[in-house]
Amino acid sequence: MIAVSLERYLRKHRQPAVVAASGSLFAVGWAVGYFHDLPRASAALMILAAAVGGYDVAKKAYYTLRSRTVGINTLVTLAAIGAIVIGEYWEAAAVVFLFALGNYLEARTMGKTRSALEELLEMTPDTAVVRRDGETVEVPAREVEEGETVVVKPGTKVPVDGEVVDGESAIDQAPVTGESAPVHKATGDEVYAGTINQEGALEVVATGTGRDTTLERIIRRVEEAQEAQAPTETIIERFAAYYTPAIVVLAAGAYAVTGDAVMALTLLVIGCPGALVIGPPVSIVSAIGSAARSGVLMKGGEHLETAGKIDLVAFDKTGTLTKGEPTVTHVDGFGLDEASVLRYAAIAEKKSEHHLADAILEAAREGLPDDAIATDGGTAVEHPASADAPRTIPDPDEFDVVPGKGVVARHDGRRIVVGNRALLDDRGIEVPDPVGDRVRDLEEAGETAVHVALDGEVVGVVSLGDELRPAAAEVVAALQDAGVRTVMLTGDNDRTARSVAESLEIDDYRAELLPEEKQAAIRSFREDGHVVAMVGDGINDAPSLATADVGIAMGAAGTDTAIETADMALMADDLERIPYAVTLSKATRWNIGENVAIAVGTVVLLLSGVFAGYVHMASGMLVHIGSVLLVILNGMRLLRR
Amino acid sequence: MTETVEYRITDFDCPTCASNLERALKRAEGVEDAEVHYTTGRVELEYDDGVADPESFERTISNQGYTARPR
Repeated sequence: MIAVSLERYLRKHRQPAVVAASGSLFAVGWAVGYFHDLPRASAALMILAAAVGGYDVAKKAYYTLRSRTVGINTLVTLAAIGAIVIGEYWEAAAVVFLFALGNYLEARTMGKTRSALEELLEMTPDTAVVRRDGETVEVPAREVEEGETVVVKPGTKVPVDGEVVDGESAIDQAPVTGESAPVHKATGDEVYAGTINQEGALEVVATGTGRDTTLERIIRRVEEAQEAQAPTETIIERFAAYYTPAIVVLAAGAYAVTGDAVMALTLLVIGCPGALVIGPPVSIVSAIGSAARSGVLMKGGEHLETAGKIDLVAFDKTGTLTKGEPTVTHVDGFGLDEASVLRYAAIAEKKSEHHLADAILEAAREGLPDDAIATDGGTAVEHPASADAPRTIPDPDEFDVVPGKGVVARHDGRRIVVGNRALLDDRGIEVPDPVGDRVRDLEEAGETAVHVALDGEVVGVVSLGDELRPAAAEVVAALQDAGVRTVMLTGDNDRTARSVAESLEIDDYRAELLPEEKQAAIRSFREDGHVVAMVGDGINDAPSLATADVGIAMGAAGTDTAIETADMALMADDLERIPYAVTLSKATRWNIGENVAIAVGTVVLLLSGVFAGYVHMASGMLVHIGSVLLVILNGMRLLRR
Repeated sequence: MTETVEYRITDFDCPTCASNLERALKRAEGVEDAEVHYTTGRVELEYDDGVADPESFERTISNQGYTARPR
């Protein structure tokens, strides 16, 4: 019984057991030689220590040789055997013991960076409570079918992606989006597998189960990103393929010239470019893992390295810097009452798909808050009774969109023109001075003002505002502090854009841009020598995101295409992650540089130490594994960011 | 029929060790493609289930000195 469980224990913890055994034998061997002056016994123990610690190493070396390559295990095995042959028993034991210890520590620390992802996977519960045939049954979460209704009790984790059909609750979405504050969910809202239901019971119709959930997609994306090699890694691996065999040749040459066997063996010991090949991947894996836990998906090391060079961030205004929910803020009547102005505007816009059209229709149906109605500039009221008009908006009889300018419609024999100044000029409609002044005032306050004209006369102005996100100004400031230039891109007119840009203290803006002109703006920034990141919603801004060096999509949790295609995707609709993502990328680029410097510095130090006669086998191995652990620990600092 | 199997290995010593294992697995009988990633420890094998037995892969991996966990 005891033997069996000991065997099982040793199989499971083979690596530390081997390290401990080899280390103890080494220590006893050293003590026997030092205190009792028994050189033969000491030598025997040292050889045993080398054999115990070196068995696995030699086995790996054998298999490596069979695949006709030379790896670190080959070098260490050669060095240890060589040391025993020339009678340097304690050097042999020390090299093997230190190598085994180094490998164990390396595997443990690398395991920590790898497990950053596994924590995410463990977020999904194993079982789900499902309504089937009028009964609630508990089934494995993977077996839930799309379209089935899942009951999520308060305090439990959501087992599937789905849509809420009943109930109301606050959900902690941190595992998926990185948001720290719980999000309110009610009927019609989307919920994600792995998030935590905090308050009320919910009934959810499953839309994605098993491997087809947002969380699983995130994890697959993150793993692919971690596996994709960055340019620095590719260069180093190509170098390493020649470096190790070159060291073997150098060692043989050194022995042939000097006859110094210890020096030749020492060269073998330090011959594996350990820290150099391990450093950059550790930095990148740590950064990608850390970002994923904060709700930022990075496409891979290559994009991370590029992102580290970003010196200009361009923001799409609507929906990115602003909430993307425009509302009617003011209606002014000029010779017509406000309600009628709004109603005519709504009729004209009813068939339009412009994002401002919905806001105008909504305001016309629901009515306006009192403070939105102003009568300055109004002269005579033609239809006082129309305030009682029914709130259903009739369809226009004729309707035409003038892209980038507005709409032209006909209703009840009257011609309605709703749009900007350019549209009115096109149609030969004169804009009286009071209207022009009012529009200028509104635009200087950052609003978007549209003219409403009836049968060739301007009768009113509808003004719309899209509230800035509370964090927008802070985000701009944080990027400026990080040495990054900020630019706002918008389809708005110049005055509105300038006002918004000034209130955000953003460095620059480009106004009156059509979607394809945003792409051209990005291209021109790149031609000016900037490394450009573009922040947008990932759907409408897809071409600009693709044109930028780094495309950053916001609010990607619900849109699979954004998760798949953006260079960086913010799972939450959370602007504050942008400075985090940019500074993390910069820190990663530094970190890779530090690791390369540590590795190259160590090799230079060791090589000159060997030729100067200061570094021998054991001390060489100690410095070597020290440098490997140092780059891993340095890379892991990124995990805490 | 081509089947796919995934393992997780957490005790790699260096990136080169991962590429050596990849080469060994690619040569194993019935294996059509093998991917071994040092950074994530992920092993993905595509094999012909008429020729190869998945258990033999675990043996190949442990022969090379690593422990594979199926996932």
